[in-house]
Amino acid sequence: MSREPVTLTIDGREITVPAGTLVIRAAERLGIEIPRFCDHPFLAPAGACRQCYVEIEGQAKLVTSCTTRVAPDMAVRTQVTSELVRRAQAANLEFLLLNHPLDCPVCDRGGECPLQDQALAFGPGESRYIEPKRTYRKPIPLSPLVNLDRERCVLCARCTRFCDEISGDRFIELYDRGAGERVSIAAGEDFRSPFSGNTIQICPVGALTATPYRFVARPFDLSSTDSTCAHCAAGCAIRVDVRRGKVVRVLARDDVEVNDAWICDKGRFAFAAPDRPERVTTPLVRARGLEPASFQEVLGEIAARCRGGRVGILVGGRLADEDAYALSKLARTVLGTNDLDHRRAFHGGRAELLAAARPMSVTYRDVEEAAAILVVGLDAEQELPILHLRIRKAARRGARVFVLHARRTRLHDLGEHLLVRPGHEAFALERIREALAAGGDGPEARIAAALAEAGERAVVLAGPRLAEHPLAADVALGLAERVGARFALCARRAGDRGALRAGVHPTLLPGGRRVTDDVERGQVEAVWGPIPAEPGRDAMGILRAAAGRELDVLYLVGVDPLRDLPDPALARRALANAGYTVIQGLELGELEPYADAFLPAAAAAERDGRVTTWEGRPRPLRAARAPLGLSRPDWEIFVGLAEALGADLGLGSLEAIRAEAEPLLAPREVPVRSSAWGAAGPPQWIEERVLFTYPLLVDEGRLLEGATELKAALEEEPFAEIHREDAEALGVADGGWVRVRTSAGDAVVRARVGETVAPGAVFVPFNQPGLPVAELLAGRFTVGVHLEPAAEPAAEEVA
Amino acid sequence: MAVLTPELRAQAEAIVARYPRPRSAILPLLYLVQSVEGWVSPEGLREVAELLGLRTAEVEAVATFYTMIRPRPTGRHVVNVCTNLSCALRGGRDVYAAAREAAGLRPGEESSADGLFTVREEECLGACDGAPVMQVDFANHERVTPERARELLDALRRGEVPAPSRGAAPRDFRHACRILAGVEDLA
Ligand code: SF4
Ligand code: SF4
Ligand code: FES
Ligand code: FES
Repeated sequence: MSREPVTLTIDGREITVPAGTLVIRAAERLGIEIPRFCDHPFLAPAGACRQCYVEIEGQAKLVTSCTTRVAPDMAVRTQVTSELVRRAQAANLEFLLLNHPLDCPVCDRGGECPLQDQALAFGPGESRYIEPKRTYRKPIPLSPLVNLDRERCVLCARCTRFCDEISGDRFIELYDRGAGERVSIAAGEDFRSPFSGNTIQICPVGALTATPYRFVARPFDLSSTDSTCAHCAAGCAIRVDVRRGKVVRVLARDDVEVNDAWICDKGRFAFAAPDRPERVTTPLVRARGLEPASFQEVLGEIAARCRGGRVGILVGGRLADEDAYALSKLARTVLGTNDLDHRRAFHGGRAELLAAARPMSVTYRDVEEAAAILVVGLDAEQELPILHLRIRKAARRGARVFVLHARRTRLHDLGEHLLVRPGHEAFALERIREALAAGGDGPEARIAAALAEAGERAVVLAGPRLAEHPLAADVALGLAERVGARFALCARRAGDRGALRAGVHPTLLPGGRRVTDDVERGQVEAVWGPIPAEPGRDAMGILRAAAGRELDVLYLVGVDPLRDLPDPALARRALANAGYTVIQGLELGELEPYADAFLPAAAAAERDGRVTTWEGRPRPLRAARAPLGLSRPDWEIFVGLAEALGADLGLGSLEAIRAEAEPLLAPREVPVRSSAWGAAGPPQWIEERVLFTYPLLVDEGRLLEGATELKAALEEEPFAEIHREDAEALGVADGGWVRVRTSAGDAVVRARVGETVAPGAVFVPFNQPGLPVAELLAGRFTVGVHLEPAAEPAAEEVA
Repeated sequence: MAVLTPELRAQAEAIVARYPRPRSAILPLLYLVQSVEGWVSPEGLREVAELLGLRTAEVEAVATFYTMIRPRPTGRHVVNVCTNLSCALRGGRDVYAAAREAAGLRPGEESSADGLFTVREEECLGACDGAPVMQVDFANHERVTPERARELLDALRRGEVPAPSRGAAPRDFRHACRILAGVEDLA
């Protein structure tokens, strides 16, 4: 679109703006605020509420400034200079208030309500209306999370437009017309969208309210802190509202570089975990039982065990960047080990090396402006919800979207899916690469042609499903390089990319420097001092070592190997056989019997720091409240442990950590061919049926504890998704019961039969209530599986 | 129980194929369902949504916007009497009252117990020059007097198909809906 600037006047003041600018936006630039309800900068113009009237010279009628685009020499008069506009705006407010209930005293929106504010600023000041008001039954639950109060609705259609334009989850609509017009949902349906909470936030009145926040606070009782959501690697800008020391609400903040104006429902509603009674906020040490002690005592005790001992460190996905850096240094320089890992599946390979060495190879903006996007091995809606919204936005702007995954994703309405069995992605990628030269008319050829045509405006986004084999991500990277596309290996958890960059990794040091490369290790040693030169063990290797009594200390930081890793049997042996087990985190959970020491960590909302998005962009965490009890940020604990071991990490503050890390984390080139990764050999063509699993957005994860309404709204019953062909061959009916047996265990679950998974693949969500899928796994997130129809399990077998 | 038989489903798919975007087929499919049910039930809404790959709410929003799509069971003939301004000035309200009486409706009833008639008040039917206007199964009868309204309903009761002011009339409401769905012509 041509963007020749246009010059016009508003209230007599001249302004030049890009062609196509809406009058309401041009006025904002002059600092003139035209009242509005339906207008929203991230939604298409609607002209639904009629509040934003202005006068344009030469036009007989008033126009809505939110739908009118500027034109050269246009002379606009707003309420500032036009009595006619003032009267029209006041009349419209009077009209909107005709049926508005007198709910302000009990309305969640009271005190921060655009209707209140604009009635005060632009309204008539007194009411002439004495007739009875229209009433509706209220509130109407649209889901366990979202409630609709129709009497308060001004029919601005922001909520329905969000569902139409942004999330594509069109559960709610404006029904009927005229005086009967209303927001509604189909009978018997729930507003089951992982983005539903955004409609609450953008509703310009209190018509949509959040169950967890209803009647909880008045806005002026809240103390608010700008921070970043730490539930995934999307890195959304949020505002955390605290009342009397408790987080009561999380809102999205606008950030065009990251989350536009949106967050997902997990980020919005999963904030209760740190306040649960199960939280442990005192250091504990095992004497007769686990007994409270001071940090000094516990760290002293741990130090005694570590001194001269063999230590293995497993890390979860929630460490801040500074924590990860301090831990990486502690492990290498004080504990003398490379046995540390934050991953739950294992990339290896050049794609991972690049992700460690070079941030920002793809940004949200690149995705938004892409002409073609290939998503591989990633269920973006469930794993990086805000990236999913950006892909949708790109598709609406004309990008061609392709998804190469074992299971259909929520991009199915906008993009073409190529369903391939887990483990076979590399073969499909190879076929795409071949089609670049050979052409053809299958999906691979369409993908190849679209990527080639888009060239540097093509983006390849590789996700966690490619982590099961080192080659898969590298093949995706190779394809991207062939067509000149941008490539990102997308981390899922908030701490993943930062931990990788910092070297919480058995073979990589900060900036992706390889432990085994003397030059690269030397670069880190120049800052840190000596580092062991042998490659460390990865997460499963650490568990195996512990199980084989090869570790004196097993140090678990924000991770529960019984739940998070794909071999709980091994994890149990490791916990039982480790010489000494240290747990660091928010709670003990089922690790309690194994713990010899516990170190209480601060929650994300209780500390400052940074997290890194999947892009590699650092984002600020800010403490919204003080850490509970004695808990403290992880990096402080690492520094304390070093001290207890008589070492000084030289990392006494966040600033000191950042200053030391910065040069080591500067983007650097990586060798074209990596070495020492190829142990796994080429991927195997798998003939048997394969079970694969990954966590859905809302599951039984620890940080979701206490988010009752969120779980009620979005958590799924356990299920096994099976392709129709397989189901027919096996005699399994849709909705019937199926026995899923692997080398590790078996379970009976309900079957979902359809064409939403690749033939030969069986999807079971990870960590669902009542079905610990991990118990079926044998070291990886895919496993050969045997299926057979089963009888309905007796009630006690079903959770 | 599915609303659309396999044969009607095939017709529905042919309708969808006429449009570049499936969504454009919402109204014809709603008429198709209405031609079977005489109204569009929640089940019918769901079937249309499923056929078009839409959410039920998207279909229901359209269905509730248009008064031609009925949310409750109707009689064999649907009689809409315009009582908007032009028609009201020319006696539309009396025509409405006469039609109700001729259909045997009790206060509060929209459809007659014998299943023959639904009588509704309608907003401007876009034929003000012929006010007052009464629609029988979507065919306009213009300059209708209360007497004429009674005659028309009596004729319908006898199974006749009274000629509208212009063109031909459908046999009944369901027939009208089949025509509007585009699966049958007005013969
Ligand atoms: S519920 Fe709120 S956002 Fe939705 S139409 Fe009503 S006022 Fe607008
Ligand atoms: S998309 Fe990720 S970062 Fe954003 S709100 Fe959701 S969980 Fe938080
Ligand atoms: S803000 Fe312009 S019509 Fe609503
Ligand atoms: S007012 Fe009755 S047709 Fe227009």
